[in-house]
Amino acid sequence: MLDQFLQHCLNALMLGGTYALLGIGLTLIFGIMRVVNFTHGELYAFGAYMMYALVMRLGIDFFAALVLAMALGIVLGGAIELTLLRPLRSSDIDITMLVMIGAWIVLQNSEQLAWTGVAQSIANPFPAEPLVFGSLSVSWNRVFVLLVAMFLISATYFLVNGTKLGRAMRATFQDRETAALMGVRIERVHTATFALGSGLAAASGALLGPIFVVTPTMGDLAATKAFAIVILGGLGNVVGATVGGFILAFAEEIGVAYISSGYRDAMGFLLIILILLVRPTGLIAQKERIS
Amino acid sequence: MTRWPAIVVLAAFASIPLWMENLYFLHILVVTGIFIIAAMSLNLLLGFTGQLSLGHVAFFGIGAYASALVSLGFEVHLTEDFAVGIGPKPVWLAMALATAVAGLCGFAIGKIAFKVRGAYFVIVSISFAEVVRLVAVNWVELTQGPMALNNIPALKLGVPGLIEISFLRKPAYYYLVLAAAAVSYVIIRRLVNSQAGRAMIALRENEPLAVSVGIDVTRYLVLATVVSAAMAGAAGALYAHYVRIVDPDIFLFIYTVTMVIMVITGGKGTFAGPIVGGVIFGSVPEVLRALAIQPELQWIAFGLLMIGIVFLLPQGIVPAVQGWWQSRGKTPPQGGPPIEAGSGAQQ
Amino acid sequence: MSTERILSIIAAVGLLLTAGPAPAQDAIKIGVSQPLTGAFAASGNYVAQGAKIAEDDINKAGGVLGRKIQLIVEDNKSNPTEAVATAEKLIQKDKVPVLMGAWSSTLTLAVMPKLVEYEVPMLVETSSSGKITTSGNPWIFRISPTSEMEAKAFAPLVKTLGIKKAELLGTNNDFGLGAMQEFEKMLKAAGVEIGAKETMDPKAVDFSAQLAKIKASGGDTLFVTTDVSQATLILKQAKEQQLKSRIITTGGSVSPDQLIAQAGEAANGSLHLVFFTPWFPDAVKNPDLATKFVKEWNARGHNVGGLTEGFRGYDGITTIVAAIKAAGTVEPKAIQKALWNVKVHGINGDIAFIKQGPAGQESAQNVPSVYLIKIDNGKVVKM
Repeated sequence: MLDQFLQHCLNALMLGGTYALLGIGLTLIFGIMRVVNFTHGELYAFGAYMMYALVMRLGIDFFAALVLAMALGIVLGGAIELTLLRPLRSSDIDITMLVMIGAWIVLQNSEQLAWTGVAQSIANPFPAEPLVFGSLSVSWNRVFVLLVAMFLISATYFLVNGTKLGRAMRATFQDRETAALMGVRIERVHTATFALGSGLAAASGALLGPIFVVTPTMGDLAATKAFAIVILGGLGNVVGATVGGFILAFAEEIGVAYISSGYRDAMGFLLIILILLVRPTGLIAQKERIS
Repeated sequence: MTRWPAIVVLAAFASIPLWMENLYFLHILVVTGIFIIAAMSLNLLLGFTGQLSLGHVAFFGIGAYASALVSLGFEVHLTEDFAVGIGPKPVWLAMALATAVAGLCGFAIGKIAFKVRGAYFVIVSISFAEVVRLVAVNWVELTQGPMALNNIPALKLGVPGLIEISFLRKPAYYYLVLAAAAVSYVIIRRLVNSQAGRAMIALRENEPLAVSVGIDVTRYLVLATVVSAAMAGAAGALYAHYVRIVDPDIFLFIYTVTMVIMVITGGKGTFAGPIVGGVIFGSVPEVLRALAIQPELQWIAFGLLMIGIVFLLPQGIVPAVQGWWQSRGKTPPQGGPPIEAGSGAQQ
Repeated sequence: MSTERILSIIAAVGLLLTAGPAPAQDAIKIGVSQPLTGAFAASGNYVAQGAKIAEDDINKAGGVLGRKIQLIVEDNKSNPTEAVATAEKLIQKDKVPVLMGAWSSTLTLAVMPKLVEYEVPMLVETSSSGKITTSGNPWIFRISPTSEMEAKAFAPLVKTLGIKKAELLGTNNDFGLGAMQEFEKMLKAAGVEIGAKETMDPKAVDFSAQLAKIKASGGDTLFVTTDVSQATLILKQAKEQQLKSRIITTGGSVSPDQLIAQAGEAANGSLHLVFFTPWFPDAVKNPDLATKFVKEWNARGHNVGGLTEGFRGYDGITTIVAAIKAAGTVEPKAIQKALWNVKVHGINGDIAFIKQGPAGQESAQNVPSVYLIKIDNGKVVKM
C-alpha cells in the first residue's frame, strides 16, 4: 500500500516538472499579454518535431539538438508575434484568439503534411533500464527531464525577476501606459515575451518528445493542461505556474490511483472550477479578478 | 424602419428546397443552419454582452444528449437499489425538455462563472465544457459513453390517425431548422432591443460604469446565459434528431471553434453577423472538399482564410458591408448595425 | 447585406458544390470515407492506401463488368458530423452505388442512418462495436471482427497461456471500452480472476498512474486495447515501472513492426492479436494474396507499420467488386443482395457474411481469422 503510494508520488514528481514547464511558458503569454494562445500546443509539438528532425533525420547530437529545438521555438514564436499579433495589438481579446486558432489549424496540418500522422519516436541516449530504489522505479530519461525543467524554470524566474528585460515585462504587465511613458519599448517586450513563452513550450516538446512519441495532435492535450496550470497558479506568475504544475500532476496521479482513471483529465478542470469559486485569483497570484 | 429585407431573405431561404434538387446541398444548409442557431446564441454572450465563452458547445451537447435520452428513454442507478428513469417520450417533448435543461444549466453556470471576467472566464468556460464531456464519456450507464446513443427517433408531429408530418427526410427538416432559426433571430432581436438588452450592452461597453449607475450586472449576465444556453440546447436537440446518433464527440472543441468563427467573422454584436458568418464558414469546408485538394491543404486553406478575414475585416463582414453601403450614401438594410451603447436608436 | 448579394453567393456556392469530379470514362465509382486528417489520420490513410492498391490490381486485371473502377476517397476528419457530410456528398453528388468506411465505430454509426435513407450499402472494414451490426440496418456489411468475436477466438488460449489473474487497460472510446467488456466476459467465463480495470483518454501519453495501480494488483497478464502509439508508450512505461505481467494487445491495429521500431527492448515478450500476419504469409488462408499485397505495399514505399491496417482497405474493395460482378449491375439494391452471397478470398482469410441483428433487419457480419503473435528479441515470432 505504502509502496504504491510512494510510486504514485514519484510519478507525480516527474510529471510535475514537465507540466510546470508547459505552464510557465503560457503564463507569460496568457498572463502578461492576455493572448488566448491557441498556438502554445503547436509550439510544443514543433519542439518535438524539430527534435525528431534534428536527431533522427540529420543525426545531430541529442543534447545539442535540445538547445537547437528550443532556439527554433523562440524564432517561430517571435515570427508569429510579429506577423499575427503585432498588427492586431489594439483588437479585442477574441479577435486575437481567432487568429491564434487559425494559426493553430495551419501549424498542425502543416506538420501532418510534412511528417504524416504516423507517430514518430526519437532515440535517446539514456539507458532503457529504469533507476530502481527498492520497489520504486523511475526512468533515467524522466529524471533528466525533471532536472532540465527545474533549470529552465529557475532561469525563467531569474530572467523575469532579476534582469532588465524581466523588469520591463513586469512593468508592461502591471501598467502598460505608464511603462510606455517610462520608456519601456512595449512592442519589443511583447515580441520577446511571446518568443520566450513559445521557446519554453518548444523546450517542453523537445524534452518530452523522446519520452513519448511525436504526432501532429500531441499539442492539443498539452495545451489544455497548460491552461489549467496557468489558472491554478495565477496569470503571469512563474512560481505559481510551477507549483500549479506539480499540483496538477499530483491530483491526476492520486485521482487515478484512488478515484477513477476515467476522470483523470477532469482533475485539472475540476480543480480550476473549485479554485476559481473559492479564490478567483488563483492559488498564489495577486490581483486581477475583473479584467 | 421596415422589416422587409429580413422577410425577403427568409423567403429566399425558404424557397431553396423548391428548386434545389441536390440533397447534399440541402444537407449542408441543414447542418449549417443548426450551427447558425448555436452561433446566434453565442453571439448573445460574446457580441452583445461581451463575454468570451469558449464552453458553449457544452450547452449544445447537453441539449443533444437530453433530447436523445428523453426520446429513447433511460434508467440510471443512483445507488445500488435506487434507480431513476423514464420511458421513451415523443420527440417534440424531448426537444422542449432539452431546451429547458440546457437553460437550467446556463443558469447554474452563469451564477458560478460570472464571479470572474475576461481571461479567467474564458478558462472557466473551457473547463466546464471539458468536465461535461468527461461526464458524458464516463457515465456510461446514462449516456452509453463512447458507445454512442444511436437509433434516435426522428421528429414526428401531428395527430395520430389524422395527419402526421415526419421530419425524417430533408426538405421537412430544412424547414424545421429554418423556422427555429427565424424564431431564434426574433428572440434575440427582441431581447437586445429591450431594457434587459440595453443593460447587457452597457455592461459590455463599460462594466464599472454600469455597476455605478445601479445595473445589476450578475442578473443580466445570468439572463443572457440562460437564453443563450437554452437556444444552444435547442440547436443541439435539432442536431440529435437529424444525425440521429449522439456520442461524446459532440463536445469536440472544433464545434466551439466553428461557432466562434461564425460569430466573429460575421460580425459580433450584429444580428445578421452569425448568419453571414455561418453561411460562409459552414460552406467553406465543403467547397474546399469539392476542390479535391489534399485534406491537409484543405485545412490549411481554411485556417489561412480565417486569419485573412480577421485581418482584412476585424469588425466582421456585416459591419464592413454596412460601412461600405453607408459610405455610398445609402441607408443600411435591416440586417442590424452593431448596437453602440448610448445610441438609443430603435432598430 | 443585400438580398441580391446573398442569393448570388448561394448560387455560386451551389454551382461549385453540384459540379462533380471528372468521371473517368464511365468508370464504376466506389465511395470511400476515411479519417485522413485529425486524431485517426494515420490509420485512415493506411486503409486508403490499401484500398488504392486493390483499385489498381482490379483495373489491371480488366476491371469489373467491362468497366474500370474508380475510388472516390473523402476525408471525414475523424469527426462524426463530417462523416455524415462525406456520405451525403458521395451518395448524392458523386452518385456512388456502394461505400466503404468509415473507420471508427462512432464515424460508422453516424453514417448508418444515411444508408437507410438513400438505400445504399456500405462495407465496414475496421469498426469493432457490436452495435453496428445489431442496430437493425440491412445496408451494413462488415468484414472486421467485433470485439466479441475476437475475445471468443482468444478463449482457447487462456489455458495454453496459463492465465490465472488478468488486468485490463483500454482507451476510453467505443473501441477500448467495448473490447474490455468482451474480454472481461470471456475471461470470467474461463475462470480467470479479474484484477484492475483501467482506462485512459485517447489522447493521453502518460500512463504511470494506471500502470502503478495495475502493478499493485498483481495479475499475471495485462490486456491492452488501444492504438499503436499509445501501445508503444504503454510498453515503454510498463518497463519503466517494472511491471512483470505479460502484456497482450487486442484489436489488430497495433502494428508489431512499429512497436519493435519505437519501443525497442520494451516490446520483447509482448503478445498481439492481429488479423493479418505479413511475417508468416503461410499461416494465412490465402498466402499468395498476402505475399503479393505486402510486396506491392513495400514497393509503393508505404510505412511497413501500416500493413496490419492497410489490408482492410484491400479486402474491402475486393469484396465490393466481387459483389458488383455477381450482381451484374451497379444498382445499389442489387449490390446489396449480391453482397449477402459473396465468397471472396481475402488477405485476412475467406470472406463470407452471416446474419446478425434483429430479425427482418439483419446486418451482415464476416467471421474473420484471428492470429496471436509474439515479439521476441526484436522480431515477430509465432506463438
